[in-house]
Amino acid sequence: MDLKLLDSILASVEKPARYMGGELNMTQKCDAELRFALAFPDVYEIGMSHLGSRILYHVLNAREDTICERVFAPWPDMERALRENQIPLFTLETKRSLGTCDIIGFSLLYEMCYTNILTMLDLSGIPLRAKERGDAFPLIVCGGPCACNPEPLAPFVDAFLIGDGEELIGECVDAVLAAKRGGMDKPALLRTLAQIPGIYIPSFYAPKYDAEGHFLELDRVDPNAPQRITRRVLKDLEHAPYIGNPIVPYMPIVHDRIALELFRGCTRGCRFCQAGFIYRPVRERTRETIMEQARALIACTGYDEVSLFSLSSGDYSEIHALIPEILHEFEKKRVSISFPSLRIDSFLKDDLVQMQSVRKAGLTFAPEAGTQRLRDVINKGVQEEDLLRSAKDAFEAGWSSVKLYFMIGLPTETEEDLLGIAELARKVSALFYSMPKEKRGKGLRLSISASSFVPKPFTPFQWEAQDSKETLIEKQKFLRAALKGIRGAEFSYHAPDISVLEGVFARGDRRLADVLENAYHHGARFDSWDEHYKQHAWETAFAEAGVDPAAYAHRQRTPGEPLPWGHIDMLVTEAYLMRELARANAAITTKDCRAGCNGCFGEKYADYCKV
Amino acid sequence: MRIIARFEKGKAVRFVSHLDIQRTFQRAFRRANIPLAYSQGFNPHPQLSFAAALALGYTSEAEWLDVKLAQAMEPASFQAAANAALPAGFRILEVIEASENAPALTALMEAAEYTIEFQGFNLVSGPKELETAFASMVAGPIFVDKRTKGGIKTVDIRPLLLNYQFSLSADGCPLLTLLGVADAKGSLNIDLLLGALRTFCAETTYTYNVHRKVIYFKSGSPMPALPHK
Repeated sequence: MDLKLLDSILASVEKPARYMGGELNMTQKCDAELRFALAFPDVYEIGMSHLGSRILYHVLNAREDTICERVFAPWPDMERALRENQIPLFTLETKRSLGTCDIIGFSLLYEMCYTNILTMLDLSGIPLRAKERGDAFPLIVCGGPCACNPEPLAPFVDAFLIGDGEELIGECVDAVLAAKRGGMDKPALLRTLAQIPGIYIPSFYAPKYDAEGHFLELDRVDPNAPQRITRRVLKDLEHAPYIGNPIVPYMPIVHDRIALELFRGCTRGCRFCQAGFIYRPVRERTRETIMEQARALIACTGYDEVSLFSLSSGDYSEIHALIPEILHEFEKKRVSISFPSLRIDSFLKDDLVQMQSVRKAGLTFAPEAGTQRLRDVINKGVQEEDLLRSAKDAFEAGWSSVKLYFMIGLPTETEEDLLGIAELARKVSALFYSMPKEKRGKGLRLSISASSFVPKPFTPFQWEAQDSKETLIEKQKFLRAALKGIRGAEFSYHAPDISVLEGVFARGDRRLADVLENAYHHGARFDSWDEHYKQHAWETAFAEAGVDPAAYAHRQRTPGEPLPWGHIDMLVTEAYLMRELARANAAITTKDCRAGCNGCFGEKYADYCKV
Repeated sequence: MRIIARFEKGKAVRFVSHLDIQRTFQRAFRRANIPLAYSQGFNPHPQLSFAAALALGYTSEAEWLDVKLAQAMEPASFQAAANAALPAGFRILEVIEASENAPALTALMEAAEYTIEFQGFNLVSGPKELETAFASMVAGPIFVDKRTKGGIKTVDIRPLLLNYQFSLSADGCPLLTLLGVADAKGSLNIDLLLGALRTFCAETTYTYNVHRKVIYFKSGSPMPALPHK
């Protein structure tokens, strides 16, 4: 790497700190027997906020035989500069080009980052398709939640790691090291990897479709490849490695604070929530361990904010002891606490009062739907009284900025449900203004956010049709009108084009790989960013590939039909998902499984779960 | 207790922005268990301020910060503790115990001295050419387009240039030392000045590295002052 040239490029691009490296606590290795490029297919500020990558960075660099270095998707200005100067994409730590690494591991957090993966491979001079990459090229692996339906990316990827990364990554690295030492070629390495539980080698399988183009099944090309790939589960979170001394970025990132992972998994069973199903069962850390980690992390980073990080932090079994303990112990250091996920039925008044003794941040509640009926359909087991009580608690504790998250386009939704959103917002606003002036904060900021529902694999709604773009636009208009005149309320929503595209890729099959590559060649990048999203590139890409997006997004599937992700076993059984779908359609809720097992793993994996 | 300190911003961190530097020092002080004093009010924040923002990409050995501590501390132990906690590239070089009622650093600043190393020149004829071009530029007013709140404005920045001198670096590259106004009313913008220089120069593909060498403050403060006006 020509460092002088790099310097002049950095001087010319927006936010050069994205590519600079050298942050506090960055790993200082020059080289090791195995080079692992930990790639995040979005910009630095997003990627550095991803807890999973932080864990893997620590776990991999803890190995003496491995050097793990970060790389993020370059912003379009940097991509241009790299191309103009013919500089391959490089890691932040040693500025090494990705092509010289042994493994490039991508984290798949959302479908709309897929084009960035192609950018990153292309900028590294690495052929996009796995079959065009010989032994000289790095092994391309992917993990993360979207790996549970790997098919749209299958032709580009050598191996998918399904499940908890820290459980699996070591075995993957061991196998690659052994192959390196033994001079094994790539096909032989892939055969070895295929025998590791949780690793999926897409080239060992070929999809079959019927005459109408419906997915039929995945044939095994290699008879030794497993029929189904079962997700790996980290059983003991308490003793698992965490993030060590984490890097402290210079530039602000999205989650610019210490993340304390209280538990993994969630017991609630909200029917729209993929994370709620694919991260089961709940595994907690003890309060002692969390406090120990908090102490060490505050000392080595200098952050003044900790975030209680979990899918539903209010459900942590020791939450009411943990919050005061953190606040008390770090009072002198003025450490404040934030919650990324707060359920409105968590009884939090005392905690709220204590939390704001340090600093006030906005509070976010997610009722998700506007009526009790629809909340029952999606199994979001909260009542209107819960929301109003929590809002009242928050207002009395001095908060005046509250966000309410909703979804539109949920299965069975009617106009009444949309009106219910406005009704709920109106009640929250009225609640604030009914309080005596001297008791409430200055002006209410009530943000109403309505995202568009996207059906995801491994949820009870995986068979449901997604609303069309036109329907979503109509519903957004309707809701905007209904929200008019509510004091303090602001309305925001997602671009419907992007939600539909996300829906296509979430439940897509291998034929979408051509669409993805076409879109990339037509300039699609950073598709989750409204300002970068190129509708035309995607329309052309679908047309050229002869693929109809509606067949993926808007088709009602029949429970029991073959699904492109059917070979991936995420532990929750299909029978359970069908049962949950039937209950959803009857608006019957299912209890939180902390109150008793609902049998989601079936008999085969029943012992995986000890809630 | 109030401490004023001079620090270095090295090559490794030259792309760290001014706002990011503030956070970097706050966090370093917290890691070092330096007892920061906080402001009163709704959203208390550490009482930490800086003399002058440095443009992105420049290095410096003359960055100044002003911090209030809740408890007294030996300046030397402040320096040692902070340096042990600061990331590589930042280093405190000098610590002064300041009186509580001294004016803010920004109010005391007068001028700044920079060294600028040029690259991409023919080493035989380049230095002379550059010096000639610079001399013809500074012979008259230097009009540049400046981005202001009210849009783009054309201003003469010649009065902001106080003094300059050319020499050669160890590698034989042209080295420009210049003294520019840097006070509350306005500062010499090096990038604008060197941008204007390109129109006077035959060679335009050169690059340069800017290093802030000294900030001069009003006489009477414990910080460096201009020897004479």
